[in-house]
Amino acid sequence: MREDATFLIRKQLDEEENIFALLTMGVFSGIPSPPTGVVLRILPHMSREISVMTRRSAGLDDVFAQTLGTFDID
Amino acid sequence: MKTYFFLGKGGVGKTTASAAWSVGLAQSGLKTLVASIDPAHNLGDAFAVRIGDRIMHVGDNLDAVEVNIEDMIRAYLDELSAKMKNTYRYLSAMNIDGYFDILKNSPGIEEYATMEAIKKFVALIGYDAVVFDTPPTGMTIRVLAMPRVSLLWTDQLIKMRKRILSTRGMVENVQGKFEAEVDGERVVLSSSEKEDPIMQELVSYREELRTLRDMFSSEQSYVNIVTMAEDLALFETKRIIESLGTFKIRVRTIFLNKFFAMANPPEEIKGKMEEQEGVIKRMKAEIRGIEVKDIPLLRKSPRGIDELLRVYSNYLV
Amino acid sequence: MTALIVLFAAAFYIFFYFTYGKSLERNVVRADGTRSTPAVRLRDDVDYVPANKFVLFGHHFASIAGAGPIVGPAIAVVWGWFPALLWVWFGNLFIGSIHDYLSLMASVRYDGKSIQHVSGELMGKSSKYIFEVYIYFTMILIVAAFMGVYGALASKSPEILTASVLFMVAAVVEGQLLYKTKLPFWLSSAIGVALTILSIVVGFLWPFIKCPNINLLYVFQVIYIILAASLPVWFLLQPRDYLNSYILWGGIIISSIAAVFAFRGFSWPAYTSFAARVISGQPSPFWPTVPLVIACGALSGFHSIVGSGTTSKQLDNELSGLFVGYGAMFMEGMLSTIVITSIGAFGLTVFQGFADKIAAAGFDLAKMKVDAGYFGQVGAAVINSKDIGIGGALGIFTKSFGQMLNVIKVPVKLGETLGGLWASAFVLTTLDTTNRLARYAFQELVEPLKKVSKGLHGVLADKWVASILAAVLGLWLITKGGNMYTALWAGFAGANQLLASIAMLTAATWVKKVQKVGKGMLAAVLIPTFVLWVTVFAALVWFLFVIVPVSAPALQVVLGGFVVLMLILDIMLVINFFRSWNQGQQNRATEA
Repeated sequence: MREDATFLIRKQLDEEENIFALLTMGVFSGIPSPPTGVVLRILPHMSREISVMTRRSAGLDDVFAQTLGTFDID
Repeated sequence: MKTYFFLGKGGVGKTTASAAWSVGLAQSGLKTLVASIDPAHNLGDAFAVRIGDRIMHVGDNLDAVEVNIEDMIRAYLDELSAKMKNTYRYLSAMNIDGYFDILKNSPGIEEYATMEAIKKFVALIGYDAVVFDTPPTGMTIRVLAMPRVSLLWTDQLIKMRKRILSTRGMVENVQGKFEAEVDGERVVLSSSEKEDPIMQELVSYREELRTLRDMFSSEQSYVNIVTMAEDLALFETKRIIESLGTFKIRVRTIFLNKFFAMANPPEEIKGKMEEQEGVIKRMKAEIRGIEVKDIPLLRKSPRGIDELLRVYSNYLV
Repeated sequence: MTALIVLFAAAFYIFFYFTYGKSLERNVVRADGTRSTPAVRLRDDVDYVPANKFVLFGHHFASIAGAGPIVGPAIAVVWGWFPALLWVWFGNLFIGSIHDYLSLMASVRYDGKSIQHVSGELMGKSSKYIFEVYIYFTMILIVAAFMGVYGALASKSPEILTASVLFMVAAVVEGQLLYKTKLPFWLSSAIGVALTILSIVVGFLWPFIKCPNINLLYVFQVIYIILAASLPVWFLLQPRDYLNSYILWGGIIISSIAAVFAFRGFSWPAYTSFAARVISGQPSPFWPTVPLVIACGALSGFHSIVGSGTTSKQLDNELSGLFVGYGAMFMEGMLSTIVITSIGAFGLTVFQGFADKIAAAGFDLAKMKVDAGYFGQVGAAVINSKDIGIGGALGIFTKSFGQMLNVIKVPVKLGETLGGLWASAFVLTTLDTTNRLARYAFQELVEPLKKVSKGLHGVLADKWVASILAAVLGLWLITKGGNMYTALWAGFAGANQLLASIAMLTAATWVKKVQKVGKGMLAAVLIPTFVLWVTVFAALVWFLFVIVPVSAPALQVVLGGFVVLMLILDIMLVINFFRSWNQGQQNRATEA
């Protein structure tokens, strides 16, 4: 029941954490990134965000699978 | 505490100026530290003494140090690497050592390390004045701008982090504390700013940046340009002043170094001397509110504390 | 009679679940309780997390049950209740439920990848692209069709309009309670349910929101969907989805009870004619056009998307798949059965209540009661007539529903408002969903434009442009279409069935190449696949030559163009299928 009430919000949280990870650590993927200083400071605490980012990038070949579950079309 | 920055291209006499200035300050009774953050260190030559990367006493009231930026970067990255290895015990996706090699060459790492060095010395207790012999102009400007630039980004990251924490809070209101499995361990993901280590880092970093930014722009901070009396130098000097102006950093004094002061100049040099006159005139006319001092071309480069003191008394004050 | 039909349907589905269904599980899917599912193997507690099979059934069913299983049958009863029931039962049994079950299990075997991805793996990348194109174009049709359906209903029923608006307010309040306060979960939920019931009761007693002008309602819907898709999800969408599930289950329980205890005979004609005027007032041959009317409830391609989107990643055990995927589809069949039952038993009672208006509009109600053929000719016109004011397909359903609930002592209008909120809550959900989907779907679609004109691409790829464009195009279609939503509904259903075709072709390829199933069971999958493909192809051709020419001129181009596109893609699909059938294909799936 509780999962029902938060399904979409949790998906949004996942995406937000993914974006945060990409923004701060994009340097690892060739994305121009904020000044190194900021990155180095927060890097030791980013284990969750890194795993979110890694998981999302692995799933990028099938965006439908990741997103279409959130759409109620019928 | 007062801070002094001497900016300029390589070879204009920055090191001599900053060394002489530090000697003068020490002489007047202020406990002074002169630090070279220029990778091409010449401070030791100016003092005719070997200066290493540990602070050492070079005279009354006067300490000196030549910062090894490369080492600083390496040491910093090593420490980070150790911290990372501890935090990410088995992170499947990243080869940590490999990535840190990339970081060494990442744009901005040198600026960052230089800024950290400045921060370190400025925080030292026990000095009334710190004088910096800076890297070539371009790098120094980027360093001086860093707090402001980093602040913009840090503010945005803080905003973004707040959103994440707020979204987590909403899930928490329904499901209770949000737990997740990270690298094989169950971890509680907090939604409160006080408990989120990333938010804490961002906020404390922002504080440090603000302090540094305010320091660079404050009355206690003296940014000086050392240059030569040539046309191109004039253009460059104006550009530097403008750049720094956009970061709200004031230039106090322009030192025109290696000035030809001759009673009977030979033919070959007359043209140069005319150029000099022209440059000084225009400088004084076009650049307002900044003192212009000229330092003549000396017979030989000053070496040692006594000669540096003489330069200070004769030309710098 | 009502009880008979409902109980028969239940027995029908239960019987075939344990015979046909179990056989599929054993011989085609070869479900293995010891093989770990992606939910277990790839568990990350976000997308991949094993869920209890009853909970998962609930989620999956709530996702696939929308307004579709209600609207489709309510349009199809013009053929008579019997043919409609036949399709809901046998179409579901032979095609629909197999489609749902196999696409779910194929996805499970491919690590929870979407069925589109699987089709790309098995049949070549162009199949995946075809899938994507269908989805994007369908968005516009859905907007138009669903807006039409809701508009027809709400413009004639202030009670339902009031209730649905109040329900939106209730959802916003629920969002605040759930996510922004520390109230205990059970309390916030209870308040939410209470507010929902309140919306229905207030709508019933004081229907203060009236909107006789249907165009105003369309505009209201356009503004609503763009707004809903732009607000943060916690504000409206999430709490609304949450409350929707209460409405769904409440509605099903109440209607099942009422249907069983109604003890009413069916007065509605069992069979009117083979080519009753169902779609756009044109004679519509039952075969091949029934799939263009009854989609969900019998067969729906969107189910494969839902199944392979979320459900396949949460299946705890392969043996739960039958219950979740196959079972949920049967449940939806039950839902459609109840819809048909209520109209079958009470539809004519509703007509009787409108006797004067029907006569004034020039139709002979007495003749309709005795002459089934005549009924087939004018039934749809009576239902959709603005002058008579029944309110279209949803109107005949909600009014029959109200009559049916009256049997268990619920005031007719209250029951009607309940049914109306049920249907409209799901219609509105679908509408804003399509808008959200359209935002990024349009960007995918215009991607090739980058090479042609960067400027144009820049404009089109903007999410606001995509959002407004999708809503406005849908609006344009429904208003230009003379408010003949049946044509647009048929277009939507056609696209839906084509999605089902792709999924079935993929499932058939999987069954042959990966599962290497024997001839007998292979036929159980292949025959429905081809029947489906041929039926939909024929239906689309019929649509092109019969419906498009009588549509409003502006509509002809769009609808016609879309149908032609669908036909072309359909042919490409089958070519792909045959090619891959004969070649050896690389695959990474786990073999049974």
